[in-house]
Amino acid sequence: MRVTQSMLSNNMLRNLSSSYSKMADLQNQINTGKKVNRPSDDPVTAIKGMSYRTDLNKVEQFDRNMTQVNSWLDSSDDALGQVGEALTRVKELVVQAANDTNTADDRQKAKLEIDQIRKQIQDVANTKVADKYLFSGTKTQSPLFVDGELNSELYDSSTNTFAPGASGEVKMEIFDGIQLQVNSSNAGELFKNVDELMVNISNALDESDAEEIGNLLGGIADGTDDSLSEIQNKVLEARADVGARQNRVEMMSNRLSLQEINVTKQMSENEDVDYSKAITEMVTYESIHQASLSVGAKIIQRTLVDFL
Amino acid sequence: MRSTFMGLEASKRGLYTQQSALYTTGHNISNANTEGYSRQRVNMRPTLGYPGTGLNAPMTAGYIGTGVEAESVQRIRDQFIDRQYRQETNKLGYYESRANAITQMEDIMSEPSEYGLNEAFNLFWSSLQDVSTNPEDAASRKVAIQRAEHLADTFNYLDTQLKQIQGNLGNEIDVSTTQINSILKQIAEINKQIKAVEPNGYMPNDLYDARDNLLDQLNEYIPVTVTSVKSGGNALSIAEGSYTISFNGVELVNGSEYAELKAIDTAGNKVDGNVDDSSTSGFNAFSKISVSELGNPPVSGTEQDSFEQADFESSKGKLLSLINSYGYQNTGGSVEGYYPEMLENLNKLANVFATAFNQVHEAGYTIDDATPTGVTFFDGGTPITAGNIKVTDAVKNNSSLIAASSKLDEEGNGKWAAELAKLQSVALSNGGFSITVDGNTTNFTNAPSLDGATYQSFYEGLVGKLGVDGQEAARLQYNSETIRLTVQNNRASISSVSLDEEMTNLITFQQAYNANARMITAIDETLDKIINGLGRVGL
Repeated sequence: MRVTQSMLSNNMLRNLSSSYSKMADLQNQINTGKKVNRPSDDPVTAIKGMSYRTDLNKVEQFDRNMTQVNSWLDSSDDALGQVGEALTRVKELVVQAANDTNTADDRQKAKLEIDQIRKQIQDVANTKVADKYLFSGTKTQSPLFVDGELNSELYDSSTNTFAPGASGEVKMEIFDGIQLQVNSSNAGELFKNVDELMVNISNALDESDAEEIGNLLGGIADGTDDSLSEIQNKVLEARADVGARQNRVEMMSNRLSLQEINVTKQMSENEDVDYSKAITEMVTYESIHQASLSVGAKIIQRTLVDFL
Repeated sequence: MRSTFMGLEASKRGLYTQQSALYTTGHNISNANTEGYSRQRVNMRPTLGYPGTGLNAPMTAGYIGTGVEAESVQRIRDQFIDRQYRQETNKLGYYESRANAITQMEDIMSEPSEYGLNEAFNLFWSSLQDVSTNPEDAASRKVAIQRAEHLADTFNYLDTQLKQIQGNLGNEIDVSTTQINSILKQIAEINKQIKAVEPNGYMPNDLYDARDNLLDQLNEYIPVTVTSVKSGGNALSIAEGSYTISFNGVELVNGSEYAELKAIDTAGNKVDGNVDDSSTSGFNAFSKISVSELGNPPVSGTEQDSFEQADFESSKGKLLSLINSYGYQNTGGSVEGYYPEMLENLNKLANVFATAFNQVHEAGYTIDDATPTGVTFFDGGTPITAGNIKVTDAVKNNSSLIAASSKLDEEGNGKWAAELAKLQSVALSNGGFSITVDGNTTNFTNAPSLDGATYQSFYEGLVGKLGVDGQEAARLQYNSETIRLTVQNNRASISSVSLDEEMTNLITFQQAYNANARMITAIDETLDKIINGLGRVGL
């Protein structure tokens, strides 16, 4: 085959430009850290990359939801704990006051403390987290107690019923399709019972009847649902419920962080550049390029003209 | 009896012929870098021997040679390789333009990245989740509205940008037809000159080269067939004649007459990438290429024939690729094409998304006392498209109108927002879908369909197809480029100028010239002997 100068220089040009484009490709990969920068580089990888991004986005979002869930549950736990402690103190006072050795004066002193505790529990019932009332159901902008009485927006005292929202469940999504209730069900009812009990105790202390006071202590087995023991039990129940959910959230949270690691890893394996490979290839191409440049320079210089 | 000066004459012929070979060598060297130039050779042949034939021819021994003559100057070229080259040029033109159109689309879609439509969707769904966990919080509602606007903007942006590229493609169709027309005109001009030269027994090699070069260029745009028509008169047998160029059996050039091509859109206007006044929303699709009657200049306003997209040979030529990308009216009357299809799919996605989202949103409850039930969230036009989708002004101005609640008058209820966020993974098929919150099921049987796909999988499908098409076009472009290079090398191997070879020839011809001159000296000496040395015995 006859080979001419123009063929040599054409070939050389094409080889040089293809090695340039390969190097540009590698450089792009190294600079962006991604193997795939456009769908046509590798359609499957690109599509998978899109899905992984969505997955990661979801996991991150659920993680953020989880923070909300935790702040609700922790605050609820805390608040119910405070109610429990307050009720323990109430029990002490009631037990003490039920003793017939007490004078009316002594009982008045106990009543003063009981009234304070009632206020304190009402404050707890109005606990806010991130500007939301924890125990007002889904009516999170309305406090449960206003001026020492149940909020008329939430509770209709004429019919003795709560507004539908007051017992509403606040739910948050913590995983695909898994929703968790973050507030306590019927917290309004619970606090109403506690408050009524406190009023009863206070009234009984006023009347200064040891037996009646004693009755308020109640027993678990006596079947009444407004005795102190019964109420304490209910508060504990509500707290245990929160605790159980906290456990669940913790497990879920672990699962989410695992998921996040997995998705990130898969995404990285899918589209990230293997640097050692890319750089080695780059170095190889560089030396090939240099060799072809120097050889090329020699080829196109020489013709017979130089020797005639 | 031979002539006394016959030797001189033979050597003189040698001098002249070697000289013309030398000049041709010089011409080759000068054109070593001229594009499309084929090296030329002087075809030498011995002149007729002496004596000639005839009744009264002298009877002598032998048939003595009388020297050499330059019969013709011919370019060295293989037409079969030209054909191969042009076939590959057709394909390269097609795939190069296709890869280019797809690359531009990929640049606009910018997937996978943190800036594409997919991410805009993700951000929007996320923000709805934030609303569901903080429904009473105006800040998270505002963020959700911002994200919704961002999503709508992304749709608008894609639509505008894709249309802009589509317009550029339309403009390129116009420029290409102008280019083709110019090439056709030039070929006709060259034909005319060739037809004037050839009957005189000459070979207009440089005109042939120029014409072949134009044909190479023409084949990048459209695949044409070439037949040659011999010139009359004293035309040499190796003369190439005038070219008749036809496309799909319709003559574009015949002798010095040529036709003019014009790309016509469905409204009967020229395809030029300007948004047509009649339909401001987009471009009228390509309808046909109209070929005028032949003439010099072509007869304007007449139509010899016309080609629709279906008449083109598939995957050949840049013009077809441009038409395919820009969008054309198929034989069924509907519009097909790469860009129109992507635009249509994005419109469908935007429309289905907005419609389904609105339906669900309208079934929820807000925290605005004046408007307790959900309102329309996205609007823009009838129908909603990727180009006009936007968040309704009412929602934009009042974030309380996001229907985050599943019940009336519950500001802490974010369950409906969670359901809205879940639309992300709802497969939209013909039967619609239903949402169950707190045991209450709401059916959305009138919801639009994406044939069972979710928004994301539908969009992923679009990007996937784009990727596969892009990859294919890039690969085929590379292949045809490689094959064309091989063919180009074969052609160069035959036709291109080798300086080494020319230098060798230079020496050969120069030496032959010198030797002829020496021959004349030798004959001169013999004649000197006869003229000055004879008949002078004893002197």
